[in-house]
Amino acid sequence: MPELRPSLSGSLLTIALRDAREQARDRVLLWATLALVAAAAVSLVTGAIALHGDAATYAAARAQLLALGKDAAAIAAPEFYPLKLLRGTIEQIEIMGAVIALVAGYRAAAAERGRQTLALILTRPLPHWAYGLAKILGGAALAAVALALVLVATGLLLRLVSGIGLGFGDAGRLALTWAAGVFYLTALFTLGFGLSLWAKSPVSGLIYAFALWILVVLVAPQIGDTMDPDNQVAGGVFAQLSVPKAEQDRIKAGFAGYESFRNGIEVASVTKHFERFTFAVLGIKDTYTGAPLDKVLAEKRGDLLFLFLFSLGLGGVVLLKPINPDRLTKES
Amino acid sequence: MPHATPAVSTRGLSKSHGETVVLHPLSLDVPQGEVFGFLGHNGAGKTTTIRLLTTLLAPTSGSACVAGHDVTAEPLKLRAAIGYLPENVRLYDQFTARENLLFFARLSGVADPVDAVRETLEFLDITALADRRVGTFSKGMRQRVGLAQAILHDPEVLFLDEPTSGLDPMGVRQLRAVIEKLHGRGMTIFMNTHLLSEVARSCTSIGVLAHGRLVFNDSMQAVADRYDEVGLEELYAGVAAAGVAA
Amino acid sequence: MSPARILSRQALAGLARDRSVLILVAFFAAMVLVTAWLGWSATATVNAIYADAAAYLSGAGQPVPPNPVSTSAPLAVLRNLGVYISLIGAFGAIVIGQHLVEADRRAGTLPLIGAGPFARRDIALGKMRALVTATAAMMAVAGVIALGTLLTLPSLVVTGPDLGRLALFLLAGWAYVTTFGFLALGAAARLPATAAGLIAATVVWLVITFVLPELTANLHPTAAINPVTTLAATPDAGVFHLFSALLGPVSLAEGFAWLSGDLLGFLPEGLAPRGLVPPALALSVALVLSGLFAAQAATRLDLNAGGPDA
Repeated sequence: MPELRPSLSGSLLTIALRDAREQARDRVLLWATLALVAAAAVSLVTGAIALHGDAATYAAARAQLLALGKDAAAIAAPEFYPLKLLRGTIEQIEIMGAVIALVAGYRAAAAERGRQTLALILTRPLPHWAYGLAKILGGAALAAVALALVLVATGLLLRLVSGIGLGFGDAGRLALTWAAGVFYLTALFTLGFGLSLWAKSPVSGLIYAFALWILVVLVAPQIGDTMDPDNQVAGGVFAQLSVPKAEQDRIKAGFAGYESFRNGIEVASVTKHFERFTFAVLGIKDTYTGAPLDKVLAEKRGDLLFLFLFSLGLGGVVLLKPINPDRLTKES
Repeated sequence: MPHATPAVSTRGLSKSHGETVVLHPLSLDVPQGEVFGFLGHNGAGKTTTIRLLTTLLAPTSGSACVAGHDVTAEPLKLRAAIGYLPENVRLYDQFTARENLLFFARLSGVADPVDAVRETLEFLDITALADRRVGTFSKGMRQRVGLAQAILHDPEVLFLDEPTSGLDPMGVRQLRAVIEKLHGRGMTIFMNTHLLSEVARSCTSIGVLAHGRLVFNDSMQAVADRYDEVGLEELYAGVAAAGVAA
Repeated sequence: MSPARILSRQALAGLARDRSVLILVAFFAAMVLVTAWLGWSATATVNAIYADAAAYLSGAGQPVPPNPVSTSAPLAVLRNLGVYISLIGAFGAIVIGQHLVEADRRAGTLPLIGAGPFARRDIALGKMRALVTATAAMMAVAGVIALGTLLTLPSLVVTGPDLGRLALFLLAGWAYVTTFGFLALGAAARLPATAAGLIAATVVWLVITFVLPELTANLHPTAAINPVTTLAATPDAGVFHLFSALLGPVSLAEGFAWLSGDLLGFLPEGLAPRGLVPPALALSVALVLSGLFAAQAATRLDLNAGGPDA
């Protein structure tokens, strides 16, 4: 009898396509993506309304100054950079996008365990790691499509609320944001998938994944933020003590070790790298607003590299860890 | 007639989880073309043995060959030569029987998956189920589609783990007929089961596992010749009890 | 012993043996300890900065303002506790709520319970009682660690009224997390698919924590989980005032943050809560409504479904 051996790429495609078709029929992820679009849209619109309010306040103050015959240059005009309005969108991708990716990863594992199909796939002539790889590639494809939908929708909405069309440069920045987002969400998908595949029951895996999400996505950056001395006193500690800038720097230098520790907690979170990279690329962080893209990329390539290596490392762990045959069913 | 190379051959094959020995060193030969019934109480180690032989589990010690391929050295070649039906298979609910089978046919590297699926559906007489979603199926229907995925690439050795579990008498009868047809085609079948009546009717040889030890292994002909008076049930109870005592 | 009590004790024993629940509770306790450490670190760092700045200012002959630490309320060192209760505590309660239904469903024991000589109401009461006890235990853990922190930090002078406010804060925290626990219990009873209750309750929690504050106050998600930045005034735009009035009572995360600031003494002066309903009342109503939802769903729970692959 001739030996039957499917090609590796064929097997990967077969598994990934079956997953995609199942997701398309199930529609849970479609609804989740639409919910993310809605959340991103809410962020964008409320941001625009707030900016509009600032502009109106500025216009009123300026008119008042001019009426009094004073120089209007005394008050700073609110600056408008459309991409800055995407701050809320990025944060929703960071938080809600991450949850959707975890749930998608959980579903990719739970579906196979609950039906005994994992055992059927693993007794086919393909390496076991290929199964994991197919699932992760499927997750990356899902993340790519969902994020493209979110960013295109918010891009169009941005034009609507700001009245300014996005140029090629802006589109390039959005494309970079998309790429970083795909790495970020794929990493979280992999985490949800791996834990749901390894845990005693997939639900336990999902719970562990959510707990890690809270720690990595929410708590670690929050701790770093809270430890900032200037966030410990309302209005900032130095401002309240009326210490001049030069003296502030001297005092801060004495806390270099503390500051490194604080930064260390922040950068342990993959979310913070995603945020730092996208905030810089989109000019959300003031120091990068209007900065040329090549300069931003030169400074922030470390964050992108971290995202890439983190996704790769997590994927590697999931692929290399053998699948426990006692985990073939939903409950074991 | 038995061939020179056994379809399944193990030498000192064992599995432990930490201190717990699930399968004591097992040496067993199942000749090609046999329908081998693997009997044992719940927890005796039958499913572990099948998982070792289908490469789902790595052995703690010893070796095993299936269809001439070593479980550790040639897992991919081995998997290309086997079919496997686990206990309580459910398959993908959202997909039709045909879509499920096409998926597994492609993963098995079948040259013409569409044709192979059609032939298998006809062989098992389940063409009428082909375009219905598996989610709407009864346990017996699922089991037949599960069996279809296990044989559509015409494997040399078919592993069935408690294939009659949860089936009604009609389902058991249909499964027996399929096993007979596959046996007629020369396929080796390795079947874990509790049902002694099924073993008596379908199997050509049996092995009895008790607490991870093989306590009996012989052809059904020899069983009939030597233990005709006590019957299979008494034989099973006797050897299993002896295995526990050992 | 009443049937509800028997069921509740059994459910609590099950929770105490479930590894994922235990890990979450341990994680919560660890994060409360981190709060304590953050409180200590904040105080020590500002004290050190103040000492440096005071030396410079007196050397330059300038007036030395009072130490900001000494002017803040002692309970304010625990300001992160509110954030961790609303993040980890609420999620822990969600896990517990869904576990109370899922564990029986997966074990296939629902039909056995259903065939017992007691009313459906007792089953619902037993599960709710277990949830309420488990969340109270979580808050007790938080309380013991918080008290330890307050008594250990040498620069803090804690009075009797302070301890009273801490107890009220923990009560508010209990009401807040139990609301989500009830939601998860009800959702798990209503939705038989595995993890569906967990996911549904988590989605509600996400919307309350991260979407509603954007509508009421243009608070981005990361600002919503910072105890200081979340206490921002409603932006001066008609839309935000409207949303604030309409959604304020259901924006429970903001309501709990406001109560935390008020009880622990770090609420900015004059900051009004969102909407016209006082947060304490909104939290109480939410607790009652979610309790009714849980009771109704658990009473109508399908006791025939179940098994390892349910």
